Amino acid sequence: MRKSFIQGLITILLFFATWYALTQINWMNIFKVQQVTDKTEQKIGELFWEVFKKSEKEIKNTHVVNSVDSVVTHICKSNKIDRSKLKIHVLDKGDINAFALPNGHLIIYSGLILNSDNQEELAGVICHEIAHIELNHVMKKLVKEIGLSVLISMTTGNSSAEVIKEAAKMLSSSAFDRSLEKEADIKAVDYLVNANVNPEPFADFLFKLSDTEHEATKYFTWISTHPDSRERAEYIIQYSKGKETEYKPVLSIETWDKLITILEY
Amino acid sequence: MIHIKQFSYKPGEHEAETASNSYLMSLIAIIVGLPLPIVNLISTLIFYLGNRKATSFVRWHCTQALLSQLSMLLINSFGFWWTISIIFRDETISSKFIAYIIAALIFNLTEFIATIYTIIQTRKGIHVEWWFYGPLTNLICKTNS
Repeated sequence: MRKSFIQGLITILLFFATWYALTQINWMNIFKVQQVTDKTEQKIGELFWEVFKKSEKEIKNTHVVNSVDSVVTHICKSNKIDRSKLKIHVLDKGDINAFALPNGHLIIYSGLILNSDNQEELAGVICHEIAHIELNHVMKKLVKEIGLSVLISMTTGNSSAEVIKEAAKMLSSSAFDRSLEKEADIKAVDYLVNANVNPEPFADFLFKLSDTEHEATKYFTWISTHPDSRERAEYIIQYSKGKETEYKPVLSIETWDKLITILEY
Repeated sequence: MIHIKQFSYKPGEHEAETASNSYLMSLIAIIVGLPLPIVNLISTLIFYLGNRKATSFVRWHCTQALLSQLSMLLINSFGFWWTISIIFRDETISSKFIAYIIAALIFNLTEFIATIYTIIQTRKGIHVEWWFYGPLTNLICKTNS
Protein backbone atom coordinates (compact mmCIF):
# COMPACT_ATOMS: atom_id res chain seq x y z
CA MET A 1 0.00 0.00 0.00
CA ARG A 2 2.75 2.39 1.08
CA LYS A 3 4.83 1.54 -1.98
CA SER A 4 2.08 2.27 -4.49
CA PHE A 5 1.16 5.46 -2.63
CA ILE A 6 4.74 6.77 -2.80
CA GLN A 7 5.09 5.74 -6.44
CA GLY A 8 1.77 7.43 -7.27
CA LEU A 9 2.88 10.60 -5.54
CA ILE A 10 6.20 10.58 -7.42
CA THR A 11 4.34 10.13 -10.72
CA ILE A 12 2.07 13.10 -10.00
CA LEU A 13 5.04 15.23 -8.90
CA LEU A 14 6.96 14.17 -11.99
CA PHE A 15 4.12 15.30 -14.23
CA PHE A 16 3.81 18.70 -12.56
CA ALA A 17 7.59 19.13 -12.56
CA THR A 18 7.69 18.38 -16.30
CA TRP A 19 4.88 20.85 -16.89
CA TYR A 20 6.56 23.51 -14.75
CA ALA A 21 9.92 23.01 -16.48
CA LEU A 22 8.25 23.31 -19.88
CA THR A 23 6.44 26.53 -18.93
CA GLN A 24 9.85 28.17 -18.50
CA ILE A 25 10.20 28.12 -22.28
CA ASN A 26 8.47 30.88 -24.23
CA TRP A 27 6.47 28.65 -26.57
CA MET A 28 4.43 31.57 -27.88
CA ASN A 29 7.61 32.97 -29.44
CA ILE A 30 8.86 29.63 -30.69
CA PHE A 31 5.59 28.81 -32.44
CA LYS A 32 5.11 32.47 -33.51
CA VAL A 33 1.54 32.30 -32.14
CA GLN A 34 1.23 36.05 -31.78
CA GLN A 35 2.46 36.80 -35.29
CA VAL A 36 0.08 34.26 -36.84
CA THR A 37 -2.86 35.60 -34.80
CA ASP A 38 -2.03 39.20 -35.72
CA LYS A 39 -1.75 38.35 -39.40
CA THR A 40 -5.10 36.53 -39.39
CA GLU A 41 -6.78 39.44 -37.62
CA GLN A 42 -5.25 41.94 -40.00
CA LYS A 43 -6.46 40.04 -43.04
CA ILE A 44 -9.98 39.53 -41.68
CA GLY A 45 -10.15 43.20 -40.68
CA GLU A 46 -9.32 44.22 -44.23
CA LEU A 47 -11.85 41.78 -45.75
CA PHE A 48 -14.66 42.97 -43.48
CA TRP A 49 -13.89 46.63 -43.97
CA GLU A 50 -14.03 46.06 -47.73
CA VAL A 51 -17.62 44.80 -47.32
CA PHE A 52 -18.74 48.05 -45.66
CA LYS A 53 -16.62 50.21 -47.93
CA LYS A 54 -18.40 48.76 -50.94
CA SER A 55 -21.94 48.94 -49.59
CA GLU A 56 -21.87 52.22 -47.62
CA LYS A 57 -20.57 55.69 -48.31
CA GLU A 58 -17.67 56.83 -46.16
CA ILE A 59 -17.76 60.47 -45.05
CA LYS A 60 -14.45 62.08 -45.99
CA ASN A 61 -15.36 65.64 -44.97
CA THR A 62 -12.29 67.08 -43.23
CA HIS A 63 -14.24 68.62 -40.37
CA VAL A 64 -16.12 65.40 -39.63
CA VAL A 65 -12.99 63.26 -39.85
CA ASN A 66 -10.93 65.66 -37.74
CA SER A 67 -13.60 66.12 -35.06
CA VAL A 68 -14.12 62.39 -34.56
CA ASP A 69 -10.37 61.89 -34.72
CA SER A 70 -9.85 64.52 -31.99
CA VAL A 71 -12.22 62.67 -29.68
CA VAL A 72 -10.58 59.30 -30.39
CA THR A 73 -7.03 60.68 -30.07
CA HIS A 74 -7.88 62.38 -26.79
CA ILE A 75 -9.32 59.17 -25.37
CA CYS A 76 -6.32 57.14 -26.56
CA LYS A 77 -3.78 59.61 -25.23
CA SER A 78 -5.42 59.76 -21.79
CA ASN A 79 -5.57 55.96 -21.58
CA LYS A 80 -2.20 55.09 -23.10
CA ILE A 81 -3.84 53.29 -26.02
CA ASP A 82 -1.85 53.03 -29.23
CA ARG A 83 -3.80 55.40 -31.50
CA SER A 84 -2.14 54.09 -34.66
CA LYS A 85 -3.81 50.71 -34.05
CA LEU A 86 -7.27 52.21 -34.50
CA LYS A 87 -8.76 52.96 -37.89
CA ILE A 88 -11.82 55.16 -37.60
CA HIS A 89 -14.41 55.31 -40.37
CA VAL A 90 -17.52 57.48 -40.33
CA LEU A 91 -20.19 56.12 -42.65
CA ASP A 92 -23.14 58.01 -44.03
CA LYS A 93 -26.05 55.98 -42.68
CA GLY A 94 -29.06 56.90 -40.59
CA ASP A 95 -28.89 53.92 -38.22
CA ILE A 96 -27.77 54.68 -34.68
CA ASN A 97 -24.88 52.25 -34.70
CA ALA A 98 -21.19 51.93 -34.03
CA PHE A 99 -19.19 48.73 -34.05
CA ALA A 100 -15.69 47.36 -34.02
CA LEU A 101 -14.20 45.10 -36.68
CA PRO A 102 -11.02 43.03 -36.32
CA ASN A 103 -7.64 44.76 -36.54
CA GLY A 104 -8.85 47.96 -34.86
CA HIS A 105 -11.37 49.15 -37.46
CA LEU A 106 -14.02 51.21 -35.69
CA ILE A 107 -17.09 52.12 -37.72
CA ILE A 108 -19.39 54.93 -36.66
CA TYR A 109 -22.64 55.68 -38.50
CA SER A 110 -23.55 59.32 -38.96
CA GLY A 111 -26.96 58.50 -37.42
CA LEU A 112 -25.25 57.84 -34.11
CA ILE A 113 -23.52 61.23 -34.11
CA LEU A 114 -26.73 63.00 -35.12
CA ASN A 115 -28.70 61.35 -32.34
CA SER A 116 -26.14 62.14 -29.65
CA ASP A 117 -27.36 65.13 -27.67
CA ASN A 118 -23.82 66.10 -26.81
CA GLN A 119 -20.25 65.02 -27.52
CA GLU A 120 -19.98 63.11 -24.22
CA GLU A 121 -22.62 60.66 -25.44
CA LEU A 122 -20.64 60.04 -28.60
CA ALA A 123 -17.40 59.75 -26.60
CA GLY A 124 -19.12 57.16 -24.38
CA VAL A 125 -20.10 54.95 -27.32
CA ILE A 126 -16.63 55.34 -28.89
CA CYS A 127 -15.02 54.34 -25.55
CA HIS A 128 -17.31 51.31 -25.38
CA GLU A 129 -16.22 50.19 -28.84
CA ILE A 130 -12.53 50.90 -28.14
CA ALA A 131 -12.91 48.77 -25.00
CA HIS A 132 -14.20 45.90 -27.19
CA ILE A 133 -11.10 46.28 -29.38
CA GLU A 134 -8.66 46.58 -26.49
CA LEU A 135 -10.16 43.61 -24.65
CA ASN A 136 -9.93 41.51 -27.83
CA HIS A 137 -13.68 40.83 -27.80
CA VAL A 138 -14.02 41.07 -31.58
CA MET A 139 -11.86 38.08 -32.46
CA LYS A 140 -13.24 36.10 -29.51
CA LYS A 141 -16.76 36.66 -30.79
CA LEU A 142 -15.85 35.73 -34.34
CA VAL A 143 -14.15 32.51 -33.27
CA LYS A 144 -17.14 31.64 -31.13
CA GLU A 145 -19.82 32.51 -33.67
CA ILE A 146 -18.34 31.31 -36.93
CA GLY A 147 -15.44 29.10 -35.86
CA LEU A 148 -11.70 29.19 -36.29
CA SER A 149 -11.66 27.05 -39.43
CA VAL A 150 -14.01 29.39 -41.33
CA LEU A 151 -11.92 32.40 -40.25
CA ILE A 152 -8.72 30.77 -41.46
CA SER A 153 -10.34 29.75 -44.74
CA MET A 154 -11.32 33.41 -45.22
CA THR A 155 -7.71 34.55 -44.87
CA THR A 156 -6.50 31.95 -47.33
CA GLY A 157 -9.11 32.97 -49.87
CA ASN A 158 -11.07 29.75 -49.66
CA SER A 159 -14.24 31.41 -48.48
CA SER A 160 -16.94 32.83 -50.69
CA ALA A 161 -17.68 36.55 -50.70
CA GLU A 162 -21.13 35.78 -49.32
CA VAL A 163 -19.71 34.12 -46.19
CA ILE A 164 -17.40 37.09 -45.55
CA LYS A 165 -20.30 39.49 -46.04
CA GLU A 166 -22.51 37.57 -43.64
CA ALA A 167 -19.78 37.44 -40.98
CA ALA A 168 -19.09 41.17 -41.32
CA LYS A 169 -22.80 41.99 -41.07
CA MET A 170 -23.05 39.76 -38.02
CA LEU A 171 -20.46 41.94 -36.26
CA SER A 172 -22.39 45.09 -37.07
CA SER A 173 -25.80 43.82 -36.07
CA SER A 174 -25.40 41.60 -33.05
CA ALA A 175 -24.18 42.17 -29.53
CA PHE A 176 -21.44 40.44 -27.63
CA ASP A 177 -22.09 38.21 -24.64
CA ARG A 178 -23.70 39.91 -21.70
CA SER A 179 -20.50 39.59 -19.66
CA LEU A 180 -18.38 41.03 -22.47
CA GLU A 181 -20.78 43.96 -22.88
CA LYS A 182 -20.60 44.72 -19.20
CA GLU A 183 -16.82 44.45 -19.23
CA ALA A 184 -16.68 46.92 -22.15
CA ASP A 185 -19.12 49.31 -20.41
CA ILE A 186 -17.05 49.36 -17.23
CA LYS A 187 -13.84 49.81 -19.19
CA ALA A 188 -15.51 52.62 -21.17
CA VAL A 189 -16.31 54.45 -17.92
CA ASP A 190 -12.64 54.14 -16.90
CA TYR A 191 -11.55 55.50 -20.27
CA LEU A 192 -13.99 58.41 -19.99
CA VAL A 193 -12.94 59.32 -16.47
CA ASN A 194 -9.25 59.16 -17.42
CA ALA A 195 -9.99 61.41 -20.39
CA ASN A 196 -11.84 63.86 -18.11
CA VAL A 197 -15.09 63.21 -19.96
CA ASN A 198 -18.24 62.92 -17.89
CA PRO A 199 -19.54 59.30 -18.11
CA GLU A 200 -23.06 60.28 -17.09
CA PRO A 201 -24.19 61.33 -20.59
CA PHE A 202 -23.18 57.84 -21.76
CA ALA A 203 -25.61 56.39 -19.25
CA ASP A 204 -28.18 59.01 -20.25
CA PHE A 205 -27.76 57.95 -23.84
CA LEU A 206 -28.66 54.38 -22.89
CA PHE A 207 -31.57 55.57 -20.74
CA LYS A 208 -32.81 57.75 -23.54
CA LEU A 209 -32.62 54.97 -26.07
CA SER A 210 -34.26 52.45 -23.78
CA ASP A 211 -37.26 54.76 -23.78
CA THR A 212 -39.49 53.50 -26.56
CA GLU A 213 -41.17 56.88 -26.86
CA HIS A 214 -38.04 58.36 -28.30
CA GLU A 215 -38.48 59.57 -31.86
CA ALA A 216 -35.44 57.74 -33.18
CA THR A 217 -36.38 54.32 -31.81
CA LYS A 218 -36.88 52.84 -35.25
CA TYR A 219 -33.21 53.36 -36.09
CA PHE A 220 -31.88 51.95 -32.84
CA THR A 221 -29.55 49.34 -34.19
CA TRP A 222 -26.92 49.90 -31.50
CA ILE A 223 -29.53 49.65 -28.81
CA SER A 224 -31.48 46.73 -30.18
CA THR A 225 -28.24 44.81 -30.44
CA HIS A 226 -27.21 45.77 -26.92
CA PRO A 227 -29.79 44.31 -24.55
CA ASP A 228 -31.06 45.80 -21.31
CA SER A 229 -30.00 49.37 -21.89
CA ARG A 230 -31.68 50.51 -18.70
CA GLU A 231 -29.80 47.99 -16.60
CA ARG A 232 -26.56 48.98 -18.31
CA ALA A 233 -27.22 52.67 -17.68
CA GLU A 234 -27.78 51.88 -14.02
CA TYR A 235 -24.54 50.03 -13.48
CA ILE A 236 -22.64 52.66 -15.43
CA ILE A 237 -24.01 55.35 -13.09
CA GLN A 238 -23.23 53.13 -10.11
CA TYR A 239 -19.68 52.46 -11.26
CA SER A 240 -18.91 56.07 -12.15
CA LYS A 241 -20.05 57.27 -8.71
CA GLY A 242 -17.16 58.58 -6.65
CA LYS A 243 -14.94 58.91 -9.69
CA GLU A 244 -15.85 62.54 -10.32
CA THR A 245 -13.01 64.67 -11.54
CA GLU A 246 -13.01 67.94 -13.38
CA TYR A 247 -14.77 67.18 -16.63
CA LYS A 248 -13.86 69.11 -19.75
CA PRO A 249 -15.34 68.87 -23.25
CA VAL A 250 -12.97 67.51 -25.88
CA LEU A 251 -14.38 69.54 -28.74
CA SER A 252 -15.39 73.17 -28.55
CA ILE A 253 -19.12 73.87 -28.78
CA GLU A 254 -18.63 75.46 -32.20
CA THR A 255 -16.80 72.39 -33.51
CA TRP A 256 -19.53 70.06 -32.24
CA ASP A 257 -22.31 72.20 -33.69
CA LYS A 258 -20.53 72.45 -37.01
CA LEU A 259 -20.11 68.66 -37.05
CA ILE A 260 -23.84 68.18 -36.55
CA THR A 261 -24.67 70.78 -39.19
CA ILE A 262 -22.43 69.11 -41.77
CA LEU A 263 -23.88 65.68 -41.08
CA GLU A 264 -27.45 66.94 -41.27
CA TYR A 265 -26.93 68.00 -44.88
CA MET B 1 9.79 1.79 -14.50
CA ILE B 2 8.84 -1.65 -15.76
CA HIS B 3 9.78 -4.77 -13.82
CA ILE B 4 9.76 -8.31 -15.07
CA LYS B 5 8.61 -10.47 -12.20
CA GLN B 6 7.68 -14.03 -11.57
CA PHE B 7 3.95 -14.72 -11.54
CA SER B 8 2.63 -17.26 -9.06
CA TYR B 9 2.37 -19.83 -11.87
CA LYS B 10 3.43 -20.18 -15.50
CA PRO B 11 0.60 -18.93 -17.73
CA GLY B 12 -0.55 -21.02 -20.67
CA GLU B 13 -0.47 -19.99 -24.32
CA HIS B 14 -4.13 -18.91 -24.39
CA GLU B 15 -3.80 -16.91 -21.16
CA ALA B 16 -0.78 -15.03 -22.46
CA GLU B 17 -2.69 -14.10 -25.60
CA THR B 18 -5.74 -12.76 -23.75
CA ALA B 19 -3.56 -10.84 -21.25
CA SER B 20 -1.64 -9.31 -24.13
CA ASN B 21 -4.92 -8.37 -25.81
CA SER B 22 -6.02 -6.36 -22.78
CA TYR B 23 -3.19 -3.90 -23.48
CA LEU B 24 -3.85 -4.08 -27.18
CA MET B 25 -7.37 -2.84 -26.48
CA SER B 26 -6.03 0.42 -25.10
CA LEU B 27 -3.87 0.91 -28.17
CA ILE B 28 -6.64 0.25 -30.67
CA ALA B 29 -8.85 2.64 -28.75
CA ILE B 30 -6.27 5.40 -29.17
CA ILE B 31 -7.39 5.72 -32.78
CA VAL B 32 -10.92 6.54 -31.67
CA GLY B 33 -9.93 7.91 -28.30
CA LEU B 34 -7.59 10.66 -29.40
CA PRO B 35 -10.25 13.35 -29.44
CA LEU B 36 -12.21 11.81 -26.57
CA PRO B 37 -9.95 10.57 -23.78
CA ILE B 38 -12.71 8.52 -22.13
CA VAL B 39 -12.86 5.96 -24.97
CA ASN B 40 -9.60 4.29 -23.92
CA LEU B 41 -10.91 3.81 -20.43
CA ILE B 42 -14.23 2.42 -21.62
CA SER B 43 -12.60 -0.09 -23.99
CA THR B 44 -10.24 -1.44 -21.32
CA LEU B 45 -13.15 -1.50 -18.85
CA ILE B 46 -15.25 -3.59 -21.24
CA PHE B 47 -12.34 -5.98 -21.71
CA TYR B 48 -11.84 -6.10 -17.95
CA LEU B 49 -15.50 -6.87 -17.29
CA GLY B 50 -15.50 -9.51 -20.01
CA ASN B 51 -12.59 -11.30 -18.36
CA ARG B 52 -13.67 -11.16 -14.75
CA LYS B 53 -14.01 -14.93 -14.64
CA ALA B 54 -10.79 -15.60 -16.50
CA THR B 55 -7.65 -17.08 -14.98
CA SER B 56 -5.69 -15.00 -12.50
CA PHE B 57 -2.90 -14.09 -14.95
CA VAL B 58 -5.43 -12.66 -17.40
CA ARG B 59 -7.36 -10.89 -14.67
CA TRP B 60 -4.18 -9.38 -13.25
CA HIS B 61 -3.15 -7.89 -16.57
CA CYS B 62 -6.65 -6.70 -17.42
CA THR B 63 -6.65 -4.82 -14.13
CA GLN B 64 -3.25 -3.27 -14.77
CA ALA B 65 -4.32 -2.23 -18.29
CA LEU B 66 -7.47 -0.64 -16.87
CA LEU B 67 -5.69 1.20 -14.07
CA SER B 68 -3.01 2.51 -16.38
CA GLN B 69 -5.73 4.33 -18.33
CA LEU B 70 -6.91 6.26 -15.29
CA SER B 71 -3.97 8.64 -15.02
CA MET B 72 -3.99 9.19 -18.76
CA LEU B 73 -7.71 9.90 -18.52
CA LEU B 74 -7.05 12.65 -15.98
CA ILE B 75 -4.18 14.22 -17.91
CA ASN B 76 -5.92 14.01 -21.29
CA SER B 77 -9.34 15.16 -20.04
CA PHE B 78 -7.82 18.27 -18.53
CA GLY B 79 -5.96 18.97 -21.77
CA PHE B 80 -9.07 18.24 -23.81
CA TRP B 81 -11.30 20.67 -21.91
CA TRP B 82 -8.60 23.30 -21.84
CA THR B 83 -8.38 23.06 -25.64
CA ILE B 84 -12.17 23.23 -25.96
CA SER B 85 -12.31 26.33 -23.79
CA ILE B 86 -9.67 27.97 -25.98
CA ILE B 87 -11.62 27.24 -29.14
CA PHE B 88 -15.11 28.03 -27.90
CA ARG B 89 -14.72 30.19 -24.83
CA ASP B 90 -12.71 33.20 -23.66
CA GLU B 91 -9.46 31.35 -22.96
CA THR B 92 -6.47 32.21 -25.11
CA ILE B 93 -3.44 30.16 -26.12
CA SER B 94 -0.57 30.66 -23.68
CA SER B 95 2.87 29.21 -23.09
CA LYS B 96 1.36 27.40 -20.09
CA PHE B 97 -1.15 25.64 -22.33
CA ILE B 98 1.46 24.62 -24.92
CA ALA B 99 3.73 23.38 -22.10
CA TYR B 100 0.84 21.30 -20.73
CA ILE B 101 0.11 19.76 -24.11
CA ILE B 102 3.81 18.87 -24.57
CA ALA B 103 3.99 17.39 -21.04
CA ALA B 104 0.82 15.40 -21.77
CA LEU B 105 2.31 14.19 -25.06
CA ILE B 106 5.50 13.03 -23.30
CA PHE B 107 3.48 11.08 -20.73
CA ASN B 108 1.20 9.62 -23.40
CA LEU B 109 4.18 8.58 -25.45
CA THR B 110 5.85 6.94 -22.46
CA GLU B 111 2.64 5.06 -21.74
CA PHE B 112 2.35 4.11 -25.40
CA ILE B 113 5.89 2.67 -25.53
CA ALA B 114 5.39 0.88 -22.20
CA THR B 115 2.15 -0.60 -23.53
CA ILE B 116 3.78 -1.94 -26.69
CA TYR B 117 6.61 -3.45 -24.68
CA THR B 118 4.11 -5.05 -22.30
CA ILE B 119 2.03 -6.45 -25.16
CA ILE B 120 5.10 -8.22 -26.53
CA GLN B 121 6.25 -9.52 -23.15
CA THR B 122 2.88 -10.75 -21.91
CA ARG B 123 2.31 -12.47 -25.24
CA LYS B 124 5.40 -14.54 -24.44
CA GLY B 125 3.93 -15.31 -21.06
CA ILE B 126 6.32 -13.01 -19.20
CA HIS B 127 4.81 -11.20 -16.24
CA VAL B 128 5.44 -7.45 -16.38
CA GLU B 129 4.68 -5.05 -13.52
CA TRP B 130 4.56 -1.32 -14.14
CA TRP B 131 5.78 1.41 -11.86
CA PHE B 132 2.91 2.43 -9.52
CA TYR B 133 0.27 0.40 -11.38
CA GLY B 134 1.99 -2.91 -10.61
CA PRO B 135 1.86 -2.57 -6.81
CA LEU B 136 -1.64 -1.07 -7.11
CA THR B 137 -2.84 -4.03 -9.17
CA ASN B 138 -1.30 -6.38 -6.60
CA LEU B 139 -3.47 -4.72 -3.97
CA ILE B 140 -6.62 -5.30 -6.01
CA CYS B 141 -5.81 -8.72 -7.45
CA LYS B 142 -4.68 -10.90 -4.60
CA THR B 143 -4.19 -13.77 -7.02
CA ASN B 144 -0.49 -13.15 -7.57
CA SER B 145 0.77 -14.11 -4.17
